[in-house]
This record gives sequence, structure tokens and C-alpha cells, in this order.
Amino acid sequence: MPLLAAIGVQDALLAANNDLNRMQTLLADASVTLMRPFQGVTERIQALRGPSITGAERDSMICTVTHDLTHAVTALQFQDGASQPISHTQRRLRNCADQLARDSFADAEDGEAVVEAAPDRSSPVTPAEMDTGLIELF
Amino acid sequence: MHSILAVDDSASMRQMVAFTLRNAGYEVTGAVNGQDAYEKAHARGFDLVLTDQNMPRMDGLNLTKQLREHLNFKATPIRILTTESGDQMRQAGRAAGATGWLVKPFDPAWLIEVIRKVIC
Repeated sequence: MPLLAAIGVQDALLAANNDLNRMQTLLADASVTLMRPFQGVTERIQALRGPSITGAERDSMICTVTHDLTHAVTALQFQDGASQPISHTQRRLRNCADQLARDSFADAEDGEAVVEAAPDRSSPVTPAEMDTGLIELF
Repeated sequence: MHSILAVDDSASMRQMVAFTLRNAGYEVTGAVNGQDAYEKAHARGFDLVLTDQNMPRMDGLNLTKQLREHLNFKATPIRILTTESGDQMRQAGRAAGATGWLVKPFDPAWLIEVIRKVIC
């Protein structure tokens, strides 16, 4: 591979790697941000159970908050679902960049480039959306 | 109060599991990988272990196998909560000694239900 082409590809791969790093940080931040309302909702549920609100209205509000909370818990798992493929892609891209470096600059004075191992199989994450998964009890 | 060891290398997943199970009245201890869980499980007993599969240092299947080798954990329910849904992995989980395979993302209501089947 011509030297300039190799440099271009390597830069592109490293840029993609940096983008994925940034995405992982953003996802982690989003997860933390989304977590805060949970405490507030829990406190509201406690207040709703107090004497100031009574009857069917109170029951309906509790039901709504609980329902929302249940969905939020499922939705919040996006961070875990997204971070695994990102991590996988990072390792694959890193391997690609390392191999390019080794093949293109094999005679560099500072020795052969170290190639970080690529994942040995495709990403383990199979769900494509935040619907709940299957259950099998043995 | 029944105690549950929740194992996941994702901090957000540990938080979600702990949030769900504590609200259902369980005592929850978190572990960041299989090795951490193995050490915590031996430091004190748990009524149930809920573990992720893909984790650094020790994965969920190896944790299950290692716990099953000890008399104290022969009968402890071990549920695997993972993004992996393939038949082969589920069979491997069963062979390792897991008592259930749950695919993420979980719904809080069904997570509590499958735990209440064995501890309530």
C-alpha cells in the first residue's frame, strides 16, 4: 500500500475510534442524567401516599408514576446495550490501525508496531432496540 | 430480607438491577465482574445470584461453574441476565449450572417475577 494511502486510512480509523470514545462518554453522561429523576419520582410516590391527596386521583397518579418508572428502567439499559458494540468496534478499529502501521512502516527505526488483538467474534449484543428480552428458566 | 448478588461490569446495569430489586424488598450487593462476585459470594452467602455473561476477568458462565463446585452454592439459584440470546449460549448456561437465562433489556416487573419464583 502506498505510504500516503496508508497514512490516510490510519488517520480515518483513528478518527473513528475517537468518535466512538466520545459516543461512549456521551452515553455514560446521558445515563447519569437520566438516573436523577428516579430519586424524584420515588419521593413523589412517598408524598402521594401521604394524607394531602386522597381517593381515586391519588391511586391513578401512583399507577402512572409506577408505569413510567417501569418503562424508564427498561429504557435506561440503552447505555449497556450501546457500550458493548462500541467497545467491540473500538478494538476492531484499533487492530486495523495497528496492522496498517505494521505493514506500512515495518522498517521504522523504533521497531515493528504492536498489533492489539481484534475481537474473536462479532459483537455479543443482539437486541436492536429497547424492547424487553426473552426469559428461559431451567 | 433475602439477599441477591447482582453482577455486571456496566455500572448503569448494576444501578438498574439494584433499583428494581431494592424497591421489591430485596437486599442487593453489586459485583463488577465474575472474580469480584466469586470473592463476595464466599465472604457471605446469598439467596440468589443474578449475573451478566460478558465481563472482564471472569464471565458469567465461569462464575456459575466455579460457584457450583462449592457445596454452599450447589442449590443457590443462579440467573444469567445478558444481551446474548443464542441457543448455543443458553445451552452452555444450562450446562454450567445456571437456573435461568434472561435476555436484556429486562422489564422490572418480569425480573421481580422470575426472582420471586425462587425466593419470596
